[in-house]
Amino acid sequence: MSKLNETDIQGFVLRGYNLPVARFLLLRFEAALRARKLIGRLLSQITTGQRWDGTKPQSTVNIAFTHRGLQHLELPDATLLSFPVEFQQGMKHRAGILGDRGVNSPDHWDEVWRKDCVHAWIGVNGLTQRALEARCTEILSLLEETAGATVLASQDAASLVIDGKLTTSEHFGYTDGFSNPDYLGVERSTQPGHGKLQPNGTWAPLATGELLLGYADEAGELPVAPIPHLLASNGTFMVYRKLHQNVATFRAYLEKQAALYGGGKEKLAAKFVGRWRDGTPLELSPDHPDPAIVQDPNRNTNFTYSADAEGTRCPVGAHVRRVQPRDAFGFNGQLINRRRITRRGLPYGSFVPEGKPVSDTDERGIIFMALNASLSRQFEFVQQQWIQYGNDARLGNDKDMLLGNHGGSGRFVVQGEASQTNPPFVCSNLLDFVELRGGDYFFLPSITALGMIAMGLVDPR
Amino acid sequence: MPNKNGSVYGLTILSPIIDDDKATPSHDLQIRDYLAHLSTREESPFARAPGTHLARLVVMDDVIYVGAPSCEEHLKSKYLIFESNCDGNLDTYLSGLASAIPDHLDAVWKHCVGYPGAANQQAFIDYMKACQLETTFFFAAVNDKTVTETLCALRTQTAVADFIAAHQGVDPATLQREFIEFVAHLRSQPLPRPGSMGPHRDIKTGGRNE
Repeated sequence: MSKLNETDIQGFVLRGYNLPVARFLLLRFEAALRARKLIGRLLSQITTGQRWDGTKPQSTVNIAFTHRGLQHLELPDATLLSFPVEFQQGMKHRAGILGDRGVNSPDHWDEVWRKDCVHAWIGVNGLTQRALEARCTEILSLLEETAGATVLASQDAASLVIDGKLTTSEHFGYTDGFSNPDYLGVERSTQPGHGKLQPNGTWAPLATGELLLGYADEAGELPVAPIPHLLASNGTFMVYRKLHQNVATFRAYLEKQAALYGGGKEKLAAKFVGRWRDGTPLELSPDHPDPAIVQDPNRNTNFTYSADAEGTRCPVGAHVRRVQPRDAFGFNGQLINRRRITRRGLPYGSFVPEGKPVSDTDERGIIFMALNASLSRQFEFVQQQWIQYGNDARLGNDKDMLLGNHGGSGRFVVQGEASQTNPPFVCSNLLDFVELRGGDYFFLPSITALGMIAMGLVDPR
Repeated sequence: MPNKNGSVYGLTILSPIIDDDKATPSHDLQIRDYLAHLSTREESPFARAPGTHLARLVVMDDVIYVGAPSCEEHLKSKYLIFESNCDGNLDTYLSGLASAIPDHLDAVWKHCVGYPGAANQQAFIDYMKACQLETTFFFAAVNDKTVTETLCALRTQTAVADFIAAHQGVDPATLQREFIEFVAHLRSQPLPRPGSMGPHRDIKTGGRNE
């Protein structure tokens, strides 16, 4: 397969920027002509997938649209109706499928997401707070000049600073972001464990069409995509979920359970996720964290579960084993190759060290963003079957320990051995450690498609 | 035996639907309407009748022509397809259906050619067998257990898991005493109703590309 045209693909799709601060602007478009003019003016600002050759830019800008937004831009009906159904409906209307009930139901979302009024997302990432502010000011003045859109809400997110150091941790204290899939044609620093498992135990990139529209996917088919082809090609779909973290509840629960668990608190915390809080995979180091493994790209994502079918090292229901089961379901892992997503999340809110007073009500959590060619086949499947249900992992109705919508009744089983330090253990009466506060499904078009939208050239005939 | 896999029976029935151009709505649409409004989970007719692991009712209108190079073919009739993975003996299963849910059976099959009604059980069984096809190959993911055994196992699994969760760290003497009480209590409990153990979901399917 030939190299992708990186200058036609938004940079946010091809790589995690690893820039520490971000602001996500949620826009409502004004009259279509003015909104299209705004997109035209933004076009030259959009960060593409072109490689940076060592020097990171001070800031980046990317843009994506809800179906409502595309309607507002007056794309032709024949185009609007050709988008996949789940994207047309939007995430709120998919609550039943996603298990977004109880505290996660749309009634509990932030106002901006409850009202079906978000048309577009602009993601700005910055190397420094100053660079971020400067770029946002530029964008806001473009909005004003063109009168093309209003900012409904703006969401800041940033890598957590712990003990004065920038980290890749999230608020529960786990180091995050180790694993994202490789795709054919996408140049990135790759490591074993990304991509898909081969029969000989090595890892290979997934088909491009699992991420980008217009290319063959793992079934050798083109993903379901809108017409015309040129509008879809080099674009992708994004899930945006604001996941609030109840840090006080999580810490108190862990503390209480750890008092009953023979392996100790940190081991129990590791069993929840499948990685020690520093990121060491339990599968590779079941007894203690090992910084040497964490820092070694040849090892930190390079493991499988077939030798641990019983889950005595990494529990069968541990978070990372659920959402990226590798070979846990047999068949050399081939059952999961059409269920992969690319994550681009960042935490929001400030980190509170353990032992310091912390409250569930503080604004604190993760802006979860995931990219995939098919929202229904990839993200929605993972959310419905692997997070809100346990049957594929032979865990019956059990849900994901951290993300499950438990409402005080869930259960998480730590498989163990007849030993003092790795005993079997059951965590029951699970609480809602994470709550959904809103979000939506977005279409992230190519640079060409953005130009077509701006100039009113989208023609489905 | 091609209709059996271990203790599980794979039943396939094709009943021709009455073709009457004076019937409005047509008989096939009347079946579709009835099926579309059937209850699910514990209230499903197949949960009320004994011995069904999984059942499916489908109205088959015709063979769909998908374009060249396939050749265009048609069925002689519209058919109601009834597939069921059920326990054990076919006569027992069918008479169980006839006893437990005769109104549902009649409401569906009265639109089929030659259906005698469920009131006369022998005639009902003979009719169903006359419509039966050999299943030849099927897979039922039920571990060769009966519906009752499966429900019992699910109840035991849930109860034992709850017991373990509630007794972690308890001293051995108390644990033994309470476990003996627990087992006696568990044995005295009624079986959960078929269809009651799954997760509650409003919608079971997602997009068009699953």
